Amino acid sequence: MKASRLARFVESIGAGATRVAQETGGIVVLTWQVLRALVPPRIDRRELFKNLHKMGNRSVAIVALTAFFAGALMALQSGPFVKKFGATAIAGYGAGYAVLREIGPILIALMFSGRVGANNTAELATMTVTEQLDGLRALSIDPIAYLVVPRVIAMMVMLVALTAIGDLVALVGAAAVARVMLDIEWSTMYYSMADNLKPWDFLLGIYKSVAFGGVIAMSSCYFGVSVRGGAVGVGKAVNAAVVAAAVSIMLLDFLLTYLLG
Amino acid sequence: MTEARATEAAIRLADVHKQFGRRIVLSGVSLELAPGARLGLIGPAASGKSVICKLACGLEQADRGSVDVLGVRLGGKREAELGALRRRIGMLFQNYALFDFLSVERNVAFPLEQRGGMTAGDIASRVAERLRSVGLVGSEHKLTGELSGGMKKRVGIARATVADAEIVIYDEPTAGLDPVTTQKIYDLLAADQARTGATVLAVSSDVVALAKFVDEIAFLYQGRIIYRGPAATIADAPDPLVRQFVRGDLEGPLEDVQQEASA
Repeated sequence: MKASRLARFVESIGAGATRVAQETGGIVVLTWQVLRALVPPRIDRRELFKNLHKMGNRSVAIVALTAFFAGALMALQSGPFVKKFGATAIAGYGAGYAVLREIGPILIALMFSGRVGANNTAELATMTVTEQLDGLRALSIDPIAYLVVPRVIAMMVMLVALTAIGDLVALVGAAAVARVMLDIEWSTMYYSMADNLKPWDFLLGIYKSVAFGGVIAMSSCYFGVSVRGGAVGVGKAVNAAVVAAAVSIMLLDFLLTYLLG
Repeated sequence: MTEARATEAAIRLADVHKQFGRRIVLSGVSLELAPGARLGLIGPAASGKSVICKLACGLEQADRGSVDVLGVRLGGKREAELGALRRRIGMLFQNYALFDFLSVERNVAFPLEQRGGMTAGDIASRVAERLRSVGLVGSEHKLTGELSGGMKKRVGIARATVADAEIVIYDEPTAGLDPVTTQKIYDLLAADQARTGATVLAVSSDVVALAKFVDEIAFLYQGRIIYRGPAATIADAPDPLVRQFVRGDLEGPLEDVQQEASA
């Protein structure tokens, strides 16, 4: 009895590992296909601009809101310690450092994955189960070049742009909370940031957002085009894409922080 | 063989086997269509009719056997290599496969836009003519999500026929349509075929209407073509399986019907 339970446990671990390996392999293959479609570039401009608008412009408000409160929270959490030790001169630096390097890129990427990545997976998965991808192939159009490549480019470009905007808004959020709730002057916060934060702090976050954009794009597209089954399959694909993106973001963040500082 | 032989037929499947996972769908299908022929393909649900359509369009690859279309052997060809051939084939999918991100007009124009070689004005007039012929005037700017099933089917037909392809494959062209619209659609398809001389492979469950459109009908059963004969006399086919299927009898040798009846 115990032996069979153990066997089932080992079997389930094996099945899970096989599934992860299959999905990782699938994402790698899709990434290769996307790169191949870029040399020479075969991008449908109409699709690209449509996706840039849909994924970027329409995400600005929600990203700005998230970033504002992320910055505000940084200031709020550090406020009591800053006050206690009289270290108001480094309040802006502390909040900015955390926002630019970590909180901004991660929170915005997770928000982007939930909003844009999930939507992208659902769209591609629905197109797959309704044979629209086969319809493109029947018209001798490569679905990877026509549908996936513009989406990957749009997601990577727009996540970088949104992270840059979000960083700025988050710093404003931190300064606003510091002024209103902690009674720290705007100028104190400004000079604390300007004097202490380095370009690298901002660039590190941007580099991270490039990597995050890549994994969100590839996982959302992979689970979209590889879906099986009808509506249930679409739901599972969206779920898998969001989970895979979230785990990859955390993993990549750790690796990039470790490697780049 | 066979390159010479392959060029004789517009579509030629020889001993084709295909399975998905553990499910064997086709187990030795051989089928040949001469240029300009009109063949109907019938068979029980899930017998592999749509798979044959996709094999003929290169959307699926046979596990074993050979598929030749317009003189091109499809086996082992990469997607990029199939592009030129697919431009010579029009296909109507069972589930329409319309692009829901495009309007009706752009769905129909899409094959022409992608192939190139036509001015925008020529494409527009060709699309307008196709939409008029399938009775969709006034729906040009609607998205496909706004259409009924029958309208989607007609958009699919317009898209499949807009480029005057050498081979046209219709997978259930009239499923879900009322009898009058069904007849209109078949009249349209027949007129198109007469005009272009295209080779037609049509899959349909509406055997009576299909028989008026095609010259011959083949019966796919348990992974093989077990009968092929004139469409006009399909109801009196010598094979009892075919007769039972066409007449819709519950009693007879068809195993699927027996199993469903006893379930």
